[in-house]
Amino acid sequence: MKKLLLLILLISPSVHATDCYHCTLWNFNDVLPNVEIPEWPVEFIKVEKEDYPRNDKASYCTRPPEMIDTVVIHHSETSEKATPQEINTIHLNRGTTSDPWYMIAYSFVINSSYPGNKQPEAKLTEGRPLNVVGAHAGSGAFVTMDEDQQKMWDEGKIVCGKTGGPFAVDLKQVKNGKIKANVTTIGVVVSGNYAAFGRFNPNGYSWSKPRHPTQSTLEMAAKMSCQLQKKYPKIKYIKWHSLYNATTCPGNLRLHIEKIKKIAKGYGCDFK
Amino acid sequence: MRFQIALLILLSSLSLHASDDKAMNELFRKYEQVMVDKKVELVDEVFTQKFLRDSGGKEEFISKVKELPNPKTKTAKPKMTWTKGVKNQMYLAKLKADEKSAHSESAEFIVISENGKLKIDGTAGDAE
Repeated sequence: MKKLLLLILLISPSVHATDCYHCTLWNFNDVLPNVEIPEWPVEFIKVEKEDYPRNDKASYCTRPPEMIDTVVIHHSETSEKATPQEINTIHLNRGTTSDPWYMIAYSFVINSSYPGNKQPEAKLTEGRPLNVVGAHAGSGAFVTMDEDQQKMWDEGKIVCGKTGGPFAVDLKQVKNGKIKANVTTIGVVVSGNYAAFGRFNPNGYSWSKPRHPTQSTLEMAAKMSCQLQKKYPKIKYIKWHSLYNATTCPGNLRLHIEKIKKIAKGYGCDFK
Repeated sequence: MRFQIALLILLSSLSLHASDDKAMNELFRKYEQVMVDKKVELVDEVFTQKFLRDSGGKEEFISKVKELPNPKTKTAKPKMTWTKGVKNQMYLAKLKADEKSAHSESAEFIVISENGKLKIDGTAGDAE
C-alpha cells in the first residue's frame, strides 16, 4: 500500500505538469478573443472606437498606412459638443446620390471643451481607419511624393473602388507627378469652432473674446500624433488645413501647432 | 399607365424641389438680415433652438451679432446653393462670397426642419 502511495506521489507531479501544459494552451486560446491586445506600441492616450454607418454605394481609396507622412489639424466648425457620430452623419449626407461620401472624412476626432467649460468630456476617437484615404485636405490639393511613396504608388498599393466591387489604381490620384494630399496625410479634427464670428461663420467666437484651445486639447493632439509616429515613423509633420486649401480652418488652432510639436517632443517624438 | 405614373412622380418631385427652394431662399434672405442688417428679432426664425443653445444662448448670440463691425462699403450678396442630404437627414447649403470680392469666403450650413420650418442648425467644416 505504501509502495502504491509512493508511486502515485511520484507520478502525480508529471501528470499535473502535463495537464497544466495542455490547460495553459487551452486557456490561452480560449481567453484570447476577450483579451485586449494593445494595438499601439506606446499608448500615451486611449483611442476610442466607434461603429460608424458607412455608405456602401460610395467609392473610396485604400493605402498602406506606411504611406502617411503628415498629420493635418482641422476644426469641425460645429459646436464643441459635436460627437464623431454626428460628424459622420453630416458627411454621409454630403455629395450626390451618384457620388456620395463613404463615411466620416477625418481619421481622428478630438473632443475637448472650450476654455472655462467642463463639457464635453475629453476624448479621442478613431474616425476613418488609417488604411482608408481621408477626405479632408481638399480634393484639389496635390503634394510631392518622396521615394518610398513613389514606390508604393508605382507598385499599385493605392487602389480605389466600392465595397464588394473590384479595387483598382485610379490615375486621378496623381497629377503632374504629384499625389493627392489626402493620400499621404491624415485628418485630425478638433470638435468646435476656433475662428471669429461673422457672416460666414455664425458658430464662431465673439470678436471681444477670441477662442484658443486649452492645454488639454493641445496635449491630446500631441499625444495622439506621437503615438502615431511611434507606430509609423514616416509621420514626421504636423500641418493645418489652410496650408492646403483656401479656408479659415482650423482658426486659432493654427497658432498652436508649434506648441503641439513641443509637447510631442516631451514624449520622445520629433515633428517638423 | 407607367409613363403617367413616372410623369406624376417627376412633377411632384419638381414641385417639392420648388417649394424647398423657395423656403431656402427665404431662410437665407432672413439670415442676411440678421448677420448684415443686424435684425436680431429674426434670430428665432433663422436658427434652431439647439443652435442657439450651443452658441451660448440667444442673448450671447445676439451680442455677437451686435458687436460685428459694420462693413465700410455695402458688400455684395453672397451666392447660396443647396442640396438635399444624400441620406435625407438634412439640407446642406453653401454660402459663397461674390467672386469679385477680395476674400473667397464660404461656409456650409446644416439646415433642418423645426416645427415645420427650415432653420439653420449649424455649420460644418469644408473638408473634402
